[in-house]
Amino acid sequence: MTEANSIELRGVTKAYGENIALRNVSLCFAPGRVHALMGKNGSGKSTLIEILAGSIAPTLGEVWVGGRQVVLMGPGDALAAGIATVHQELSLVPSLTIAENIFLGRLPRRRRFGVTAVDWRRIRREAAVLLADMEVDLDADQRVDCLTVGQQQAVEIVKAAASNPKILLLDEPTSALAGHEVGQLFALIRRLRDRGVTIIYISHRMNELFEICDTCTVLRDGMLVGSVELAQSNPAEIVSMMFGERATHRINRSDLVRTTPVLSVEGLARGGVFSDISFALYPGEVLGFAGMLGSGRTEVLRAIFGADRPDRGRIVLRGQEVRNPTPRRMRDLGLAYTPEDRKHQSLVQTASISDNLVMANLSRIAPGGILRPRLQQGLVERQIANLQIKAADPGLPVSSLSGGNQQKVVVGNWLNTGPRVIFFDEPTRGIDLAAKQQIFDIVAAQSAAGVASVFVSSELEEVHSIAHRILVLHHGRIVGDIDPRHISLSDLYSYCMKGTLNV
Amino acid sequence: MSEAATFHGQARARRGWSLRFYIMEVCLIALILALFLLAPGFGSSANLLNVFRSVSMLGIIAFGMTAVIISGEIDLSVGSGVALAGCFAAWAVELLTPVTGDVAAVLLGALGAVAIGMACGLFTGTLRAQFNVPSFITTLGLFTALRGAANLLTDGFPLASFPGWFGFFGNGSVYGIPFPVFVFVAVFAGMHFLMSHTAFGRAVYAVGGNAEAARLSGIWVGGVKTMTFVITGALTAISGLLIASQIGSGTGSTAAGLELDVIAAVIIGGTDLFGGRGRITGTLIGVLFLGFIGNGMTLMNVSDYWQYVVRGGLIVGALLLNQVLERR
Repeated sequence: MTEANSIELRGVTKAYGENIALRNVSLCFAPGRVHALMGKNGSGKSTLIEILAGSIAPTLGEVWVGGRQVVLMGPGDALAAGIATVHQELSLVPSLTIAENIFLGRLPRRRRFGVTAVDWRRIRREAAVLLADMEVDLDADQRVDCLTVGQQQAVEIVKAAASNPKILLLDEPTSALAGHEVGQLFALIRRLRDRGVTIIYISHRMNELFEICDTCTVLRDGMLVGSVELAQSNPAEIVSMMFGERATHRINRSDLVRTTPVLSVEGLARGGVFSDISFALYPGEVLGFAGMLGSGRTEVLRAIFGADRPDRGRIVLRGQEVRNPTPRRMRDLGLAYTPEDRKHQSLVQTASISDNLVMANLSRIAPGGILRPRLQQGLVERQIANLQIKAADPGLPVSSLSGGNQQKVVVGNWLNTGPRVIFFDEPTRGIDLAAKQQIFDIVAAQSAAGVASVFVSSELEEVHSIAHRILVLHHGRIVGDIDPRHISLSDLYSYCMKGTLNV
Repeated sequence: MSEAATFHGQARARRGWSLRFYIMEVCLIALILALFLLAPGFGSSANLLNVFRSVSMLGIIAFGMTAVIISGEIDLSVGSGVALAGCFAAWAVELLTPVTGDVAAVLLGALGAVAIGMACGLFTGTLRAQFNVPSFITTLGLFTALRGAANLLTDGFPLASFPGWFGFFGNGSVYGIPFPVFVFVAVFAGMHFLMSHTAFGRAVYAVGGNAEAARLSGIWVGGVKTMTFVITGALTAISGLLIASQIGSGTGSTAAGLELDVIAAVIIGGTDLFGGRGRITGTLIGVLFLGFIGNGMTLMNVSDYWQYVVRGGLIVGALLLNQVLERR
């Protein structure tokens, strides 16, 4: 184990204006080991990784590699310092071969007949050597889009390893992999570790950490909580380090009488994404969907709303069985869906705030197909007042609003349809605290008015504090149906990560 | 709330009158003033009416093309569509006149031409909606195929089968104003109403601005796009019939390259080629701009080749101007 491969942070702080993402973090990753980095959303984990990858510069503090300070002003600096990163989203070019991808951006050349040309023979030969060396059984001439996600992930790692890095950052490398592929990936990681590469491994899957990692470092609210040797620790300790004691949001949960469900779903399935989803939703109920990224939360909502086509299953909405749901039909039956991605799925950025507030209500503001500006104005003004949307002029482009106000426009558009059921998919993503509280108030008010909702958030404490009932999703299945009053937040967290309750 | 914002189906940069929003109007007025001073005979009523007659054929299609482009699509087949409409009408008239008499023959020929235009639009829209074939490709195919079909119908020669009175639609005038201008104004008014004052128009803007958001808001994206193609197909056929009337025959080689002039007029009018933004009134400006500048250069004896160069520069310049002002 060479000391040259150690990486150390000294007093690293990252501030975005008033917001402090990382506060005075000092820690050292010992060489030749696999280090887990844990923390919930907003803990500063991603910020730390981005700093090490050179994507963002720290406000204060230093990074030292192998006993020498390095200044990381861009991804190129990080590579030069020996830090390679494999990001969560694969960065391979699908239409190129494995060999081409491995040498992308630094294709070896040679002069031939006076012309400098790419040295294809050398690329193929060296790629084959690299693959063999890492014991990855793939043909270097194969196109990347013919590979499985697991094989692509392996190519990513071979590509990262080709630069002979001292430190390898792996950001959720297993999130898209099937079980047996995870095993192969781990073999690859161990091989690199045994060569002395320092590996920093980020994952939400607790059981994987204990399998592949040697140490675990936990961040919470931008601060370092501590590092432990995993051989001497257990999942419960990690979870409590991640959560600590913290106050939850104050939310008025309305009382609930469950009589006839307004929406019931039976045996809903969509190939490879989720299966056997059954639940009932009652008027006024706030049903939380809890689960890690990739557990199928969003996909289930989209299938019920008709945004994607489910393979099997029965959907009954307000007493009517819907065989082929489409967004149009579900909307007309009283279902609303606020998608997780405001920019790409919810708002027409080129259009005004006003027009976005009536996007799902064209038939309402245009009886007989002719627009009635006064009808539109009524709907727009009502939502701006009710939801306290801070808009100087509804005629301004919706892109001029802050994230929180944009989210309120999305919600307002759907409230204008007079829904009986609302799916809130990550309604609090990327918005400030005050706006979050307002979104919670809106959900609570709708609940009190008898509107049922499904609430999805990556922030488990939000789901925990707002929902009457929580369904836990794990690998596309419902593995638990729990009353949030009878489970602690950290238990809920490990439930989501492991898919079972016994810690 | 500001009426103007929703009126044009697009958000205004800021409240009130901004130069950016009316920049093309200002340029057009400046151009007209310049031509009055520089181009001999530009201001005569005969010349101005002539300009209006000549831009009508292009403008009728451009208003439909505006809807297509706002919805995020493109139609390259309109020039060939014009030729096919004229040739089909001529072919039908020749075939039917002995049987039905000339009035019914012209009527049937014209209706058939419009129906074919709409069917082509339906074809493009359906391929786009059901099979995700880019409209650029489908209409590029139609661009070639329709021109071929037009020549097949007429054996490659101008087919002058129309009765004499048919020439009125292209060449005649009512109260001194050329007949095509009436059609042009009517199509302008209709398309402006459709795009600015109906739920359909609003849906076109939404679909072009963000198709996924529109779909998840319950808008029938495929249907809306298809409809813009159908409208454009019908308007193309109408324009084709007026041109056939004007030249007195169905000719397979008519309107070669017209699609580029039509798209140029729409772009000069400020419509965003990526969809979601644009105005029918802007296209009116673009059409007049192209018409006046072409006429002015002819009056000033600028050679045809220079005219091509100027028009090319104009398209790029107008787009550049819009981008620069947008960024400010």
